[in-house]
Amino acid sequence: MAILEIKHVSKFFGGLAANSDVSFEMEQGMVMGLIGPNGAGKTTLFNCITGYYPPSKGDVVFDGRSMHGLLPDKVCKLGMVRTWQKVRPLAKMSVVDNVMVGALCRTGSLKKARDMAMEQIKVVGLGQRSGFLAGGLPIGERKKLEVARVLATQPKMLLLDEVMGGLNPAESEEIIHLILTIKNLGITQMVIEHDMKAIMRISDRIVVLNSGEKLAEGTPQEIVGNPNVVAAYLGSE
Amino acid sequence: MKRLLDPETTTGGASPAGVLIAITLLVFLFLFPRMVSDPYTLHIMILLFLSTIMGQSWNILGGYTGQYSVGHAAYFGTGAYVTMMLMQYRQVPPWYGMWAGMAVVVAVALIIGSICFRLRGPYFVLASIAVAEIIRLSAINLKEITNGAEGILITEIPPFKLGETVITDFLTKVPFYYIGLVLALLTIVITWLVQRSKLGYYFQAIREDQDAAHSLGINLTFYKNIALIISAMLTSLAGSFYAVYVGFIDPPTVLGLDISVEIVLICIIGGIGTIYGPVIGALVLVPLSEALRSNLIASAIFKTGIVSEESGIGNFLKENLAHAHTLIYGILVVVVILFMPDGVLGFFKALTAKKHKEAA
Repeated sequence: MAILEIKHVSKFFGGLAANSDVSFEMEQGMVMGLIGPNGAGKTTLFNCITGYYPPSKGDVVFDGRSMHGLLPDKVCKLGMVRTWQKVRPLAKMSVVDNVMVGALCRTGSLKKARDMAMEQIKVVGLGQRSGFLAGGLPIGERKKLEVARVLATQPKMLLLDEVMGGLNPAESEEIIHLILTIKNLGITQMVIEHDMKAIMRISDRIVVLNSGEKLAEGTPQEIVGNPNVVAAYLGSE
Repeated sequence: MKRLLDPETTTGGASPAGVLIAITLLVFLFLFPRMVSDPYTLHIMILLFLSTIMGQSWNILGGYTGQYSVGHAAYFGTGAYVTMMLMQYRQVPPWYGMWAGMAVVVAVALIIGSICFRLRGPYFVLASIAVAEIIRLSAINLKEITNGAEGILITEIPPFKLGETVITDFLTKVPFYYIGLVLALLTIVITWLVQRSKLGYYFQAIREDQDAAHSLGINLTFYKNIALIISAMLTSLAGSFYAVYVGFIDPPTVLGLDISVEIVLICIIGGIGTIYGPVIGALVLVPLSEALRSNLIASAIFKTGIVSEESGIGNFLKENLAHAHTLIYGILVVVVILFMPDGVLGFFKALTAKKHKEAA
């Protein structure tokens, strides 16, 4: 059974269709790449899935349950969390406190939350930084902090919005490893990314959005060979 | 990169020296009325406690949760009015009346909160001012129940008895000193407990980034309302205490906008989002406003000899400086915002951190 079904989702802002009639499904444990030129509606789709915007039309079914009318906090409790393209550290709190906020969604005990947080901090490789203020971290570590924080909510599914954006090749490589590690934990992931090499390596399947519509869907090999996708990125002849 | 030195946000234990200082200070504060019986000194101490309670309660909502209310006079005044009306017209002793005050205040807070916290942006700030003004105007105009602009004067406070023994009859300032001290300690302990709980983490997450907090499973409206209710209840308690202590209330003194502003100032000047901030703020503001009121500053200026008391400027200062506390507060806020954005407490913390660095 599919863990996530996007059913004919449309989102209009006034007359502008940021998403129009987007449908696809995701299987448990897979990594789905979501790509498309700037303004294609990728982040809008994330917002529709995680409850930030109600879709204008269509429905999102997660784990057999319609997300209709649910706000992000409820969506998180049901096991689906997203990260942000522009990172959102809780700047005046320490790294471990940031991750604890995520963990507290599953427990009321600070001690348990701290243990859960430390575990995830080690998974993303921020073990040396746990006592630092989140606002003082460099961008690469902020991105890792975002991932640790969502992992601490014990999700079934993660939506990662450009976690490699602004990173140098070495840092991107670490994130790629991290995504594959998370996949091995059995957590389903949807990943927005502009780095084509990276997305080809990590994705089991890819959905291409263009001007709010789904342009193509398939394995990385199919997407590379799709003339419509090439046209959308490079312009047609 | 900034290493976290501040143990307040982590659950690091208190240092033995800190505990020793705190215990000494507590013993000193509890013995203080036995050593000093001058009523004016006790009065200043009581005002310090009152300001600490007011600042600390705003701190929970404004400092920790990041929801700025400029209408806390609504809760302060409502607590004061409910307690006084029950005592004067229904003969309910204030130690019961204050609970009624808190109950009414919770209702008011829930109405404001459940409407305004659904929205982002400045709506809550604006609504908080508006509600405080509505309550102030109602208190002036509902003459039948509030006695309008004339206010309410207590004729006598019933003695506080335990069984048949009279604990206190409230004839001196000493019982008020102890009540104020206990209430101030109570608000500090409540803030400390909140900070070290799930609530504290959620409040701070909301302050730092609402979208991030929301995505991590925090029900924004619910937790903002919780912060508002805790804050409003403690403010109401401060109002009840003030009313019974002074023995007289009218709309401008307990419901005026300047009360709301003063509550915010105590916290901002001391340092928001810290436990000691409001205490420091009270220590700065109470002596300052007393000095202005009793014209201490004007006479100090005359003593330096820069301005003679008989000159035109001297007369002007003597006449007006006592009423200029709002102006002075304004200047103080500008100075604090420009030079100590984290309040007096933050300023000194940064200073000591710098010294540590230079020493290392």
